[in-house]
Amino acid sequence: MLLDVRDLHVEFRTRDGVARAVNGVSFGVDAGETLAVLGESGSGKSVTAQAVMGILDTPPGRVTGGEVLFQGRDLLKLKEEERRRVRGAGMAMVFQDALSSLNPVLTVGDQLGEMFTVHRGMSRKDARAKAVELMDQVRIPAARERVRQYPHQFSGGMRQRVMIAMAIALEPALIIADEPTTALDVTVQAQVMDLLAELRREYRMGLVLITHDLGVVADVADRIAVMYAGRVVESAPVDDIYKAPAHPYTRGLLDSVPRLDLKGRELHAIRGLPPSLTDVPRGCAFHPRCPMARDVCRTDVPAPHEVSATRAAACHFWKECLNG
Amino acid sequence: MPEQPFPPEGAIAGAGPGGAMDLTASEAGTLERHPRDPGADGSPAPPPGPDAPDPAGGRPRSLWSDAWRDLRRNPVFVVSSLIILFLVLISLWPSAIAPGNPLACDLAKAQQGSGPGHPFGYDGQGCDVYTRTVYGARTSVAVGVLATLGVAVLGSVLGALAGFFGGPWDAVLSRVTDIFFAIPVVLGGLVLLSVVTSTSVWPVIGFIVLLGWPQISRIARGAVITAQQHDYVQAARALGASSPRVLLRHIAPNAVAPVIVVSTIALGTYIALEATLSYLGVGLKPPSVSWGIDISAASPYVRNAPHALLWPSGALAVTVLAFIMLGDAVRDALDPKLR
Amino acid sequence: MGRYVLRRLVQMVPVFAGATLLIFLMVNVMGDPVAGLCGDRQCDPATAARLRAEFGLDRPVWQQYLTYMGNVFTGDFGTAFNGQKVTELMATAFPVTLRLTIVAVLIEVVVGVTLGVVTGLRRGRPVDTGVLLLTLVVISVPTFVTGLLLQLLLGVEWGWIRPSVSSAAPFGELLLPGLVLASVSLAYVTRLTRTSIAENRRSDYVRTAVAKGLPRRRVVTRHLLRNSLIPVVTFIGADIGFLMGGAIVTERIFNIHGVGFQLYQGILRQNTQTVVGFVTVLVLVFLLCNLVVDLLYAVLDPRIRYA
Repeated sequence: MLLDVRDLHVEFRTRDGVARAVNGVSFGVDAGETLAVLGESGSGKSVTAQAVMGILDTPPGRVTGGEVLFQGRDLLKLKEEERRRVRGAGMAMVFQDALSSLNPVLTVGDQLGEMFTVHRGMSRKDARAKAVELMDQVRIPAARERVRQYPHQFSGGMRQRVMIAMAIALEPALIIADEPTTALDVTVQAQVMDLLAELRREYRMGLVLITHDLGVVADVADRIAVMYAGRVVESAPVDDIYKAPAHPYTRGLLDSVPRLDLKGRELHAIRGLPPSLTDVPRGCAFHPRCPMARDVCRTDVPAPHEVSATRAAACHFWKECLNG
Repeated sequence: MPEQPFPPEGAIAGAGPGGAMDLTASEAGTLERHPRDPGADGSPAPPPGPDAPDPAGGRPRSLWSDAWRDLRRNPVFVVSSLIILFLVLISLWPSAIAPGNPLACDLAKAQQGSGPGHPFGYDGQGCDVYTRTVYGARTSVAVGVLATLGVAVLGSVLGALAGFFGGPWDAVLSRVTDIFFAIPVVLGGLVLLSVVTSTSVWPVIGFIVLLGWPQISRIARGAVITAQQHDYVQAARALGASSPRVLLRHIAPNAVAPVIVVSTIALGTYIALEATLSYLGVGLKPPSVSWGIDISAASPYVRNAPHALLWPSGALAVTVLAFIMLGDAVRDALDPKLR
Repeated sequence: MGRYVLRRLVQMVPVFAGATLLIFLMVNVMGDPVAGLCGDRQCDPATAARLRAEFGLDRPVWQQYLTYMGNVFTGDFGTAFNGQKVTELMATAFPVTLRLTIVAVLIEVVVGVTLGVVTGLRRGRPVDTGVLLLTLVVISVPTFVTGLLLQLLLGVEWGWIRPSVSSAAPFGELLLPGLVLASVSLAYVTRLTRTSIAENRRSDYVRTAVAKGLPRRRVVTRHLLRNSLIPVVTFIGADIGFLMGGAIVTERIFNIHGVGFQLYQGILRQNTQTVVGFVTVLVLVFLLCNLVVDLLYAVLDPRIRYA
């Protein structure tokens, strides 16, 4: 397995107390596989990604437990210098807002070329040539001229292509994309998503796609991990989940997507709000919003139950849920 | 395009006695409370509040009460407040701790060190340094407080009107403040005050108000312009509220906080400015008792009687420090963004 | 860019005229320029009238101002009452103050930015709190007190330096005066850098730089510092103008014969031409510094384009 996250815990110390952003998350990604991590904001999906990358803001954030096995090595046990060498070269990240994630005062060429000068010790001239090559590869027109431009001179979609170019620069084994298309226009979203999928195939990279958008997931993901209040509540191959969810939260998410074949019917919404992470409900964190909740849900945290060899759900009543 | 890419308070800062520059990095209009957004979705979502309070009344109230809660726990605030309280008390009743007469001097005792009943020794004229240092607080506090009041009132009225009405008013005021900022403060003081023969504090106060108001007017103008863009102000306007009502009820509460912060810090710098001008011989003049005068008088014979220079200098430094620290603490409490 | 500069230059005209007029009025209306001529005694009325006519002081003030400004633009700043040309005074005074300003700015940049970066990266730690308190103290103690105390300690008590500066005022002798002149601005540069660094440290592009696997040093110098110094550079640029005008106190303490010294003498002796001439140049320097700062802003931040 390329990436194997086991029982990861992350805390934030805030003025209002300790926020347990990630509470024992486990998931795995194989080489060439796409895992979609799905969840509302506040579910801990971005924090998980940052902890895996090793770019958590510390303080206030702190990894309090677990393992992040990447190509067999536990990244959490590495020294900072070794860890740094993994970042960018072994695994790379695509951020949500390319405008704020790219340095406003450096040219795009400088920011792309930096990968090669720092990690590969290339000369500035060679790095510049590589930058042009990369921009061609992510299909930015007139790359030779635009390499001298600054991020604000690019359109939203083109900027996100620059981010992607930066991520694939050193041909990493794994890419983590944190809501890569959320900030983009709908028409551009598909193009960027297609590009990402195509590059993944070409380089046989693993891809962790963090998103709250079910529509994106169905097209590109092999597997899905659904997160709620810092836990993975269901993980399964994408087809299984769409066919029959084994967790009421997943069901709620699926039901709240508008579908053409159900036109005219009332759209479902999950009632209530996601919990505050400083005050996660006892028992199953989802129980205050769950239509199936019973007494046991208020007291016992459900362990992940094995639904099949490739599938698990953290619900006391997953069978009922699975059978609709 | 930035009209003023650096904070204007640098004007006073660079000119000598210090200004309120750091503060304006956040300048006006930063006082709405944004829930902190650490950029990760792991941050605890703020609990959904009860029904939104009346925006005009509820918003400042929560800001002030939050600020007050922070302030009480801030040691910087507590210490500086105690110092300022002490200064105000000895300004009102100096004889309570200094029974002597600051003008009673005996040349025979000139430059003598400390002795019983005269802990700070004597200055070059044979005056008791302790008594003069205590009485000096009165001048400094009076100049600081009165000048700040004058500057705050004049500056915020002019700034608020310019920000509120905009157009030619605003353009004229902006140019006028530019002109005032172009004149170094100490230099202006030298020119204006060198011809004044009065020994009272009023010319100095008048001068500080004259050159200080543009600083506050800029802050007030900025705060008013920011406040005007809030949706509830637009809504109040759309509902037909009159201009004075919008200005007083909806905009003023938002603009008051930055003015208070800048004024508090400025108070300290005005005290320093008075001492600087007095040191240069154009501020207060004897027989007024001022730390600046005493420091100036003590500097020629500093080798023989350093105490005559050190005590008033120390008092001056502590006083200015107390006001600047107070302003700093208030700023931190009122501006959540800087945390 | 060219049009922007032109527009800014045009905008400067009313500010320049206003500021110089203000000083002109202050000097002429508040004081009696003739009074300074006869020394400590009162001038007898006949002499006074003759002097007034000679210097054109009997005409209305606005006419005097216009005549004066007309002369200034032909390079004639008039004559001090002792017969020396004001331009000659400037030629000796401005280089001295310029050297003093250069020393002060260098100290600001080197010490201020370093302290700001160190504290900004360690916000809330003991170093940070310590430096922050120190800057508050420096800001609070008026320059003339700092100057007198340092002069007393380093010059008189310990004898490290000469307590006053010779008339040639070489760079070496200006180190301590430069530090005194810079002290308050130094504290501001430290605080400004600190705030800026601390703010940008959490920014998305710094996070990206870390995620790219750049060494910490490179993240700080190339990505964090470059962005954080934009407000600092603009502050320092604007400060140059103020430092030159604010040197009155420092130059008096260390007996430096620069611009501040000449101004102080000119004001005490009611030497109208000297005062107005020096202030005119200072205002001009200040306004030009501000213009340069604005243009520098665009160089430092490519997002800003002047149209």
